[in-house]
Amino acid sequence: MMADARRAHSAGSAPKRAADSWKRHIARQLKQRDLAQKIMFQDVIRSYMVLLEKFKQKDQITRRLLGSAERCLPDSVSKNSSEMAVVQHEDQVTYLQKIGRELAYEVVDLQKSVRIKDSSLVGQRGRMSELKRRLGAVESECRSLRARVAEVQEGNRALKREYDSLLEQHRRMDETYRREEVRGSELLEDLIKGKELAAESMNSKNERRVQARAATLKKELETAVKKKVNIDIGSGNTQPTKRGALKEEVEEKAEKRPTRSFRSASATSPRILESIKELFEMRKRGSSVSSLEEDLCVPVGVCVVARVPAKALHVLDAHELGINAVKFSSSSKLLATGGTDRVIKVWDIKAGRMHSRGTLGGSNEGITSIEFDPTGTKILAASYDNSALFWKLDDCVPKLTLTGHSRKVTAAKFKCSLRQVVTGSADRTVKIWDLHRPACIRTIDVSSYCSDVVCSEYFIVSGHYDKKIRFWDSRASSCTQEVPAQGKVTSLDISLDHRQLLTCSRDESLQVMDLRMNNARMSFRADGFKCGSDSTKAIFSPDGSYVTAGSADGAVYIWNVNSGHLETCLSDMHCSSINAVSWSLSGEFVVSVDKSRRAVLWSDI
Amino acid sequence: KRMADDKDVLRDVWYGRIPTCFTLYQDEITEREAEPYYLLLPRVSYITLVTDKVKKHFQKVMKQEDMEEMWFEYEGTPLKWHYPIGLLFDLHASNVALPWSITVHFKNFPERDLLHCPSNSLIEAHFMSTIKEADTLKHKGQVINDMQKKDHKQLWMGLQNDKFDQFWAMNRKLMEYPTEEGGFRYIPFRIYQTMSDRPFIQKLFRPVTAEGQSHTLGDLLKEVFPAAITNDDDQKKYQVVIHGIEPMLETPVQWLSEHLSYPDNFLHISVIPTPTD
Repeated sequence: MMADARRAHSAGSAPKRAADSWKRHIARQLKQRDLAQKIMFQDVIRSYMVLLEKFKQKDQITRRLLGSAERCLPDSVSKNSSEMAVVQHEDQVTYLQKIGRELAYEVVDLQKSVRIKDSSLVGQRGRMSELKRRLGAVESECRSLRARVAEVQEGNRALKREYDSLLEQHRRMDETYRREEVRGSELLEDLIKGKELAAESMNSKNERRVQARAATLKKELETAVKKKVNIDIGSGNTQPTKRGALKEEVEEKAEKRPTRSFRSASATSPRILESIKELFEMRKRGSSVSSLEEDLCVPVGVCVVARVPAKALHVLDAHELGINAVKFSSSSKLLATGGTDRVIKVWDIKAGRMHSRGTLGGSNEGITSIEFDPTGTKILAASYDNSALFWKLDDCVPKLTLTGHSRKVTAAKFKCSLRQVVTGSADRTVKIWDLHRPACIRTIDVSSYCSDVVCSEYFIVSGHYDKKIRFWDSRASSCTQEVPAQGKVTSLDISLDHRQLLTCSRDESLQVMDLRMNNARMSFRADGFKCGSDSTKAIFSPDGSYVTAGSADGAVYIWNVNSGHLETCLSDMHCSSINAVSWSLSGEFVVSVDKSRRAVLWSDI
Repeated sequence: KRMADDKDVLRDVWYGRIPTCFTLYQDEITEREAEPYYLLLPRVSYITLVTDKVKKHFQKVMKQEDMEEMWFEYEGTPLKWHYPIGLLFDLHASNVALPWSITVHFKNFPERDLLHCPSNSLIEAHFMSTIKEADTLKHKGQVINDMQKKDHKQLWMGLQNDKFDQFWAMNRKLMEYPTEEGGFRYIPFRIYQTMSDRPFIQKLFRPVTAEGQSHTLGDLLKEVFPAAITNDDDQKKYQVVIHGIEPMLETPVQWLSEHLSYPDNFLHISVIPTPTD
């Protein structure tokens, strides 16, 4: 029954209290046990032990004394008890003296320790006063620091006030500045309007002059038609080669300065007539004879409406190895191609075919780029052999070799002045050369592999493998602007009016940048268009309406700049990646060249 | 608080003392009259381990040749040195007036009742073997066998020199058990009676039931010694004494084993007749 109750208890509602109760019981019982069995007795037994110990000592002393007395006793049996007592007392005296000595020694010891304590006390007092003094110093320092804090805070408040007033002033100034800026931009707009008006009037004046010229020409022609002329055919047949060359030169001159050439040329040649007819055709196409720059160095009659080519006129394997570069001369009848086989070939375009005219040697490695001078009589080329070369068209040996780059030269371009040449190289420099001296007159460190350069009279643009396009002031050699591209830049081209820059980069896109409108950009892409190499060349059409480039799949892609759409894609003629294309200044022909030495002449007819 | 309470119990158990008066047996031959000797005996120790002073005390009044091995007797009963002092007192002298009066003998060693104790190393051997037995019951002997020789020595030296902290630093390990089991495998205990032919009762007894409930002291007695339990109506016949106290029957045996065991790790429980007066 008890066990059951207990179990109910331990498993019941208050097990903890139950647990506590048995534990408390044990603790209490133990205390009670100790009270009865231990605490009551421990003092008594301790005292008992002490007494026992003392008794034992006394007992020992007594026994010693007794022992000495017994030792005396046999010698002086006869002596009386007082003598014995005396001896006993003397013993005691010596014993006590001994104790006294010990005590004295102890006293000396204690005195010594007292002295030591005293001296340490003095030392501590000294230290205490020193600490007090330092405490005082620290407190005064603290006071002075507090004062300084207050001072600095006051200073800060003053500065804040001053700052606030300056801020207010700045805001007012800013307002004025903004007002002035608005006024300045208004003035600028006015100025621009004025200039535009002036330009328009200039244009119309030019137009009138040209019209007048055309009218006189027409009149003269009419009079010439009315006249009867004897044509001497025989003399023309006897010296065909010499005459041919002469005629060509005349032809070129005619294109450059039409009125004068007309006057100087003998009106008897039918070829002259043809060239004049051509001139009229160009006029009819409605090109506007424009900017002053072009008047300076570009032959008249180049600004045409480019015709989008549609079919291949002539396909041939032009070199022995891959062709890297192709360029029309300004005459549109003359073409140069440069290849990995180290030579430049010059071609005449006649009756829709390319006829080899000659080969220019002298490079020790493959040709990377070609440029004609505006007269079409000189050729500039860049080479893998770290140099740029300069030929006169009638001599197959280079007139100048420009050496100084430490790696391959990727591009060589004439400056507008024609006296200077700009080259870009893989050695991360751009060099400017004087052809008259001839020497390098400036080296610009462009900080990355330069894949192409284009230049105007005062600035140079370079394209780089670090996905950057850099603008340089050619007189100061300083970088004026750095524009990021989407990928490695493979080529650059500048429109004839120097307003637009075309870049081709390895992200399979072409970009046109307006150099005057805050570098606003336009991208050209197409399904299938893929850059074939790190030096794929993209170009503007001569009128700037189209951009074109060859693709890795062997097709030529042509985009319309105005609409931004792909205009056409000329495929099936190349079997490998196209390296470069060129568009004749007449707008009539396009030539594309590829890695497997093929060149294709395209036209719209 | 509870932990502190438990620690207090351990301390109180360790520092339990019994005031004792040692008197030389009247028939011993002395040169002078032998004074009685008073001493506080530690409950948890062994009588031959703490009575050097008693021996010295009586040496003073006796001839060397008259002294053989010392032994003790209380009211005609020879006291077994291999029982802890507390157990001897609880079993034989629980309800007498203090101090406990023990008679000291140097002759006529009772070979039938007592073991000889020529040196303290014998006490140590006995102590260690008892601890091992207890651990065999508690942990199949794994804990004591995992200890090193110096750990065993620490247990013994703690007891010999009355160093509570030194002893418990090691003994703590012997008191551990896996929490999921709720206690030791078996509780090491012995139940002693004065009026019995058997020296003690010892059985296998688990601290928890198969259902996981704690066994109490009452459960233990019911199983091992039912006569010790008083029914409600009857008069109390027996006292169940450990370390001089009577724990409540509700006390869990696991807790008792952890806290009220002697240093030899056994619960030595005395069952004695309730005093009639």
